[in-house]
Amino acid sequence: MSFDKATIAAFVDGELDDLTARRIEREAQTDAALAAEIARHRALTDRLHRHYGPVVDETIPDTFLKLLAKTETPAADTSLAARREAKRTRFAPAHWGAIAASLILGLTLGTQPWRAPADVATESGVLVASGALATALDTQLASNQRADAPIRIGLTFRDRTGRACRSFESAALAGIGCRAADEWMLERTMPGSRQGDYRQAGSGELAAAASAMMAGDAFDDVAESKARAAGWR
Amino acid sequence: MRFEDQLIEILPRLRRFARGLAGSAADADDLCQAAIERALKSQGQWQQGTRLDSWMYRITRNLWIDERRASGRRGVHAPIDDDAVQIAGDTADSVEAGALRGDIDGAMARLPDEQREVVILVLVEGYAYREAAEILDVPIGTITSRLARGRDTLMHMLGEAA
Repeated sequence: MSFDKATIAAFVDGELDDLTARRIEREAQTDAALAAEIARHRALTDRLHRHYGPVVDETIPDTFLKLLAKTETPAADTSLAARREAKRTRFAPAHWGAIAASLILGLTLGTQPWRAPADVATESGVLVASGALATALDTQLASNQRADAPIRIGLTFRDRTGRACRSFESAALAGIGCRAADEWMLERTMPGSRQGDYRQAGSGELAAAASAMMAGDAFDDVAESKARAAGWR
Repeated sequence: MRFEDQLIEILPRLRRFARGLAGSAADADDLCQAAIERALKSQGQWQQGTRLDSWMYRITRNLWIDERRASGRRGVHAPIDDDAVQIAGDTADSVEAGALRGDIDGAMARLPDEQREVVILVLVEGYAYREAAEILDVPIGTITSRLARGRDTLMHMLGEAA
């Protein structure tokens, strides 16, 4: 075995340059001891993934979400007068109107099964793609999508945990979905190209987020359609 | 996107990281809650455009280390209640090969803190060595040597069969 332990570990962790990685792969085909050492390392990583992986799918405790929902009060809001003012602003009739309107809208939407389903849903507290977005992530290939497709697929790649991930952009939403347990978990989301007040999510920003998550290179046309054929596993 | 919404997005992974550090679900969620509170208080220190997940992992990890040091000073040791560990003895070294087969929590609990955090960041969370080094603020060489020792110990305690 001509590779030391540290190099084998780095190989399994995806830390080696392509050239050395290829040499190890080639040598492992004929060197049983090397192949066994690689398998031993991979087995440990797999066991850890199987053990800790499911935590990500657990429901997020309400206490956390409450903690993160109530912080709209500005930090400088210390005086009683300021607090009263804030209270008045927060519960102004216009706001009640808006709340009522969105409640009604929500109820109406909920009872209209013929409406197109939303692009995003929550599954055990995790954001996942649904509706047209899920369909696009499932079926649409960047290599042959229509120029005016409402949802455009950008890069397809594997992240460091081995999941297939795809970046997408639409008028309302842009982001990156990663395949886990037959769902597209939305790992990154940003406002899409038509979000009035918000800063537009540039394709550059999305590509940067994708490249930070990527292990190896983005898929080419062939790899993309192969991955689709394999159900993004 | 609101800072809080970005935090919500990474919460599932942050909980996994905390579970790996703390071992039990209850301790992990206490740790997460403390980390969220700390993050909200010091969100001004987070630089837009840098990775929020790395920043949160650093906060979480530092809180955990502080907590471990404080409980060490108080002479409190986290109770370990599984039989395998009691049979196997107190330190990772004295655990027989394969004695903790299947008990990943038990095996992880035997690792020194500085090895456990590297194992989780690289092997579970999938961070590159360089990123793990930045989160923990140590040189890359320290990451690779701690990872190697942690790996060896885990393979030994868990047995080598997958």
